[in-house]
Amino acid sequence: MDLINPSPILHARKSARRRLEPCEVVDESARQPIDVLEVFEHLRDVTDPEHPYTLEQLNVVSEEHIDVSDAESYVRVQFTPTVQHCSMATLIGLCLRVKLMRALPPRFKVDISVAPGAHATEDAVNKQLADKERVAAALENPNLLSMVDRCLASADA
Amino acid sequence: MHNHKGSISTEQGSLEEVQVLEGHTDRVWCSAWSPLGDMLASCSGDRTVRIWSRQQPGSDAWSCSAILEEAQTRTIRCVAWSPNGRCLATASFDATTAIWEVQAGAWEQVALLEGHESEVKGAAWAPSGMLLATCSRDKSVWIWDAMPGHEYECADVKQGHTQDVKSVTWHPDGDVLVSTSYDDSIRLWSDAGDEWSCAQTLEGPGIGHESTVWGVAFDRDGSRAASVSDDRTLRLWRCGRDRGEPRWRLLACLSGFHERSIFSVDWGVSGIATGSGDNAIRVFVEDAAPEPGRGASDPGAAPPAPAFRLAAQRRSAHPSDVNCASGGAPLQGNAVPHGSEPPG
Repeated sequence: MDLINPSPILHARKSARRRLEPCEVVDESARQPIDVLEVFEHLRDVTDPEHPYTLEQLNVVSEEHIDVSDAESYVRVQFTPTVQHCSMATLIGLCLRVKLMRALPPRFKVDISVAPGAHATEDAVNKQLADKERVAAALENPNLLSMVDRCLASADA
Repeated sequence: MHNHKGSISTEQGSLEEVQVLEGHTDRVWCSAWSPLGDMLASCSGDRTVRIWSRQQPGSDAWSCSAILEEAQTRTIRCVAWSPNGRCLATASFDATTAIWEVQAGAWEQVALLEGHESEVKGAAWAPSGMLLATCSRDKSVWIWDAMPGHEYECADVKQGHTQDVKSVTWHPDGDVLVSTSYDDSIRLWSDAGDEWSCAQTLEGPGIGHESTVWGVAFDRDGSRAASVSDDRTLRLWRCGRDRGEPRWRLLACLSGFHERSIFSVDWGVSGIATGSGDNAIRVFVEDAAPEPGRGASDPGAAPPAPAFRLAAQRRSAHPSDVNCASGGAPLQGNAVPHGSEPPG
């Protein structure tokens, strides 16, 4: 199969600035609030579905495109597919959603979207990623779930 | 059409939590009161349906009286009681709809409806109980004839929506079926004798919703309907007729009340209840009289549109999205059960 983007530009991995603490802290008042850095730590090492690189190396996710409010319990992530017509965009978005679903407390509202102008069918991709019913159905598809788990394995290590 | 922006009146009623029913091990997608209000059915991503009843007759405490399982292999998205309360239809992502009935004191699966190509997302019985409608990710709406002996025959398959069909709802008169979709539209299907035909599509700027329409509910006599959407608005419709065909008109669009997608709507005796992704349950009621002075300055103006206001809301009704809000049967007063995400 031909690659959608045969020669992606690679970016250096930033040094890890903070170790992730387990998020299932029992005492909510004693824990550190969840911030941009923590969310980025969860996502940076997710592997691209097409290339053996991480989403950070491909600049698909970056700290600048993550918005977090612990007090208001929301996380917004915008991602930038490496090419405008990337057919993997929905799968990448699904990986990001699943990763945060597993990593963050369930009180968080997570919105995943393509960065404005970063994709030819941005609205369609965003609508699909925001539809919890479609996401739930997708994750019951064993083939799709194993693709997602493959991309997440590197970030779960 | 009249636009109401969200302004919260200080004279609000309150919604009090009566009981939390625990048992499902994954997201609860839908709950429905039996027609007599003596049972509540709920369904979940855990692939089971639970039936909840009073612990003893007259008791205020509800508990799980039956678990319906192993008929369907994926998420069960929707439960629907037949009008006589004897049958329960359950729609699953495994592309089937199961029919359950109590036989010799135990719930038994009596039929399995196959035909949809992918996830079934909704099911609804016609008021006569003779027809069952189902809708699916495959963009189609199916109408089934309920025959004697638990036989179900496909009476019609309606194509028309260009994306998943999220819900089906019958008009109280039983001659109009309403479907809502990911394609942002609401379609009205009417009985044209030998088949059902699309009488009206409610969509487009100034009329239709701007994103996925999750559901529709009718008032008691079917003269008006309420629809809810991912566009965070609640729209109210006048359900008129023109030469027998349904002809709906937009009456009002309530925006600014919901902070996220609205997944569910029900129109009961106490008002219009909504369940939203912002974790809240809200109840809207119609103002008895128009606001003083409205329209008085222009004698030629059309009569004022009905005004709806937020009568009660329960923020953080659940720790996460409210997937379903359904008012009780008239006998049960105004209980509002609601499906939700699993607890943390």
